[in-house]
Amino acid sequence: MTEHSAGPPDAYVEAEIQRLLTEDPDVAEQGITVVHRETGLVLTGEVESPQRRAEILRRVAERFPDEAITSDIGVIRTQAPVQVEELP
Amino acid sequence: MIRIAAVGDVHLDADVLGRFRPALEELPDCADVLLLAGDLTRHGTESEARCVAEEFGGLGVPVVTVLGNHDHQCDQVPQVVKVLEDAGITVLEGTGTVLDCPGGRLGVAGVKGFGGGFAGRCASDFGEPEMKSFVRTSNESAAALGEALRGLDCDLLVALTHYAPVPDTLAGEPLEIYPFLGSYQLGQAIDSAPTALALHGHAHAGSERGVTPGGVRVRNVAHPVIKQAYSVFHLGGDQID
Ligand SMILES: [Fe+2]
Ligand SMILES: [Fe+2]
Repeated sequence: MTEHSAGPPDAYVEAEIQRLLTEDPDVAEQGITVVHRETGLVLTGEVESPQRRAEILRRVAERFPDEAITSDIGVIRTQAPVQVEELP
Repeated sequence: MIRIAAVGDVHLDADVLGRFRPALEELPDCADVLLLAGDLTRHGTESEARCVAEEFGGLGVPVVTVLGNHDHQCDQVPQVVKVLEDAGITVLEGTGTVLDCPGGRLGVAGVKGFGGGFAGRCASDFGEPEMKSFVRTSNESAAALGEALRGLDCDLLVALTHYAPVPDTLAGEPLEIYPFLGSYQLGQAIDSAPTALALHGHAHAGSERGVTPGGVRVRNVAHPVIKQAYSVFHLGGDQID
């Protein structure tokens, strides 16, 4: 764990964002991983819609306006399966 | 042969409406039933439940579900259950149902389940009241599943939960949160009956395949894990009674 400038330790920033994303009723996402690097915040994970991804980024940017945010959040595919699993 | 389609953790709200529908239109061609493994909604509101009813209702095959922790968030469980049942979706909680499929009678017993952790590394019914109430919730939930499974008269028996019955299908999740993802008591309940397959969700970062200590196949069908609208399993349909 390192400290960037005068900000709080990384672990507390990561914990706060993780809880914000879960407990904020407008987000309610438990599957987003947050890493605080020297280059800023990196968010990864998968959500059910592009709107949810945008809302997550908006919330985090609002709470940490001075941090650069890198997002690698995907929208989970919903295509029909092309193969079945045989369970004899 | 019985064909089972399954998915969990679709976390529906108005923004997701219609995303599953094209794949669901094809479902009756490839499956006899759709099982939903909980976390149907984001917060468990009545309006989100209506989105679930719209997306997963009227499919042409029976739809059976358990609720997940997200479906409990707003304390509107009775309203959520009513909306789902009005749309023809069967909601299981410590209960079971038998469906007549072309390949035989499919028995499905379901429960949401709860955390607690896995054998040798689990929470115990000891200490503070909060801890005891946590563990008792796990115990009661698993006991209800076991009873429901053992009470079904069918050709093929499937267990449906939201929380995981084994740690195998959690691979990919941080070890530290395993006790919040499932309990070994669910696995024990599944092993107390001639279960052919156990399906669960909840572990979004977990993995697909596992097996209970008693040898029952387990599949994590959480949407972020299967990365498709639903998975389809073909089961032999051997007589179990
Ligand atoms: Fe979920
Ligand atoms: Fe869940």
